[in-house]
Amino acid sequence: MSVLSGVDRASFAIGLTDRLRRRGASATTGDAAVFAAALERSPLEEPLDVYWVGRLCLVHRACEIPIWDELYRLVFEAVELDVGRPGSSARGAPSAAADDERLAPVRGTDGGPEQGSALPWATLPALQTAVEAEDEGVALPQRLPSELSAIGDQPFDALDPADLARLGEWLEQAFSRWPTRRSRRLEPRTGGPYVDLRRTLGRARRTGWEPAVLVRSAHRRRPRRLVLVCDVSRSMEAYATSYLHLMRAAVQASDAEVFAFATELSRLTPVLAHRSVDVALERAGAVVTDRFGGTRIASNLTTLLRSRHGDLLRGAVVVIASDGWDSDPPEQLDRVMARLRRRAYRVFWLNPRAGAEGFEPRVGAMAAALPYCDRLLPAHTLRALVDAIAVVSDGRAPPTGSVTARA
Amino acid sequence: MQCYEGLTVAEALYEWNYQRQLLAIRIAEARAETPHGSDLFVEEFLQERPILQAIRDAGALPPVLLIDEVDRADDEFEALLFEFLGEAAVTVPELGTFTAARPPYVVLTSNRSRELHDALRRRCLYHWIEFPEPARAVEILRRTVPGAAEPLIRDAAQFVGRVRSLELDKAPGMAETIDWLGALAALGVSELVREDVVDTLGTLAKTPDDRAAITAALDDLNAEENAGR
Repeated sequence: MSVLSGVDRASFAIGLTDRLRRRGASATTGDAAVFAAALERSPLEEPLDVYWVGRLCLVHRACEIPIWDELYRLVFEAVELDVGRPGSSARGAPSAAADDERLAPVRGTDGGPEQGSALPWATLPALQTAVEAEDEGVALPQRLPSELSAIGDQPFDALDPADLARLGEWLEQAFSRWPTRRSRRLEPRTGGPYVDLRRTLGRARRTGWEPAVLVRSAHRRRPRRLVLVCDVSRSMEAYATSYLHLMRAAVQASDAEVFAFATELSRLTPVLAHRSVDVALERAGAVVTDRFGGTRIASNLTTLLRSRHGDLLRGAVVVIASDGWDSDPPEQLDRVMARLRRRAYRVFWLNPRAGAEGFEPRVGAMAAALPYCDRLLPAHTLRALVDAIAVVSDGRAPPTGSVTARA
Repeated sequence: MQCYEGLTVAEALYEWNYQRQLLAIRIAEARAETPHGSDLFVEEFLQERPILQAIRDAGALPPVLLIDEVDRADDEFEALLFEFLGEAAVTVPELGTFTAARPPYVVLTSNRSRELHDALRRRCLYHWIEFPEPARAVEILRRTVPGAAEPLIRDAAQFVGRVRSLELDKAPGMAETIDWLGALAALGVSELVREDVVDTLGTLAKTPDDRAAITAALDDLNAEENAGR
């Protein structure tokens, strides 16, 4: 006998999908339809069958499996009481669980200030800046650089929170250029080294099938992956927010992978991909639990190289942001940097202390890491950070080994 | 079908045989005829690639197509797959749309070296494969390396399970285990001994660090094994 006898499969599927989505999974209504169809066809002899059918149809990422597991447990504990009772079909099993969510029709932006109207859909956060600009009476685009120059040279620890909040926007603009690499994909280009047979023959149609014009093609340039690894330990506290903004800007701009570490490494790419600055930073704060703890650079880089994200470093531009205070032995960092160097295309080190007068990389870890870096860049002010982005985006770094600290 | 970056329509779906088309043009010219587009873009000159082959397969059973390591291809290739996965159809502009009589079973694999697009995930069912349980691993090994002795298979599966719990750069997967057992079987080993393990470590450990780590832990691993008996 079927587990779901007496249950309206369509509303069961929709209800489950809806709850899954509210818990942050990416299931869509289309998935719900597939799920309902699959439920119809499978014999469903025990509750675990529903688990597998649902997991196959509604879960699209490995990180969503725990969400599904939790929801399944929640629903099927309730189902034992609920299923099979005739008449409970309209809103079968799921209504027993988390019923309070049922009447909330649309998700708004949680906690954020309402902007103008209390519409039931989320309005673009960009509206906020527009209103601000109006208040000040100057909505000119030139406003930005002058403001930038006012705070550009102030160290990050001296910036007030309002400026810090705007930082993300400026940094996003700084990423207008991006390092590129040659891809294997061809695109038509005059004077390219290859002949595109398909297009050539298409063109020959116009010349009585005489291939008079050879259409040429060349390899397309693609954005190169940028991997940012930022230190958010206690010694970096003053810079952590700015670097979070930097990471978010990179993720927004193009193909970037970002990681934060203090004692543990956490991947922030998915959380920082959120369009809203506030939401993204808030979520990042929730993910990085060991913020402002001690620093273990070498172990964290080893973890990164070993993890399944280690392959992301292949051929990438790797940027490590840290002051180099490491509680791991320098020899370990030396080994892991050598491996990183072999895997990455370029390695840059951003050090907020490198901007200070008379800075010398004498901390053990910094001295161990430097031979493997293409450049050591100071990143203590916004201007320095924007310059650093320009160097990183340039792609043409000086040959390996020539390390310079620019003040 | 193995995926790689820059995979295009020409390698995955179909391609026109340009050489034969040009030849056909020359022959027509020699006969003082003017060839038409409709003469050149016909099935005769169409070369099927794996996806179109799967669509046009006329067998009694739906074909199975493996699209391996789709994360190695780029976004453009993912977009190419949408029509095929969504509607089991391929459109050749010059000929029209081919729709499969029996939609093929398509298996896509990914090693997550790149995030796949949501649009692609939406057209697939998702299944996450863990390392197999020891009992399952033994079954797989028994099938793939028939020459190995039964106790060796069990020991090897257990040994690899323990090796995976070490801090390694690359934990040995099922493929490495099969290679390793194959190597042991080829050497005529019937019981796991330190020397044989060290000799064949190249099949399990793929970096110098891993090699050192497994060698260092070998005594512990073996001790556990003996204690387990």
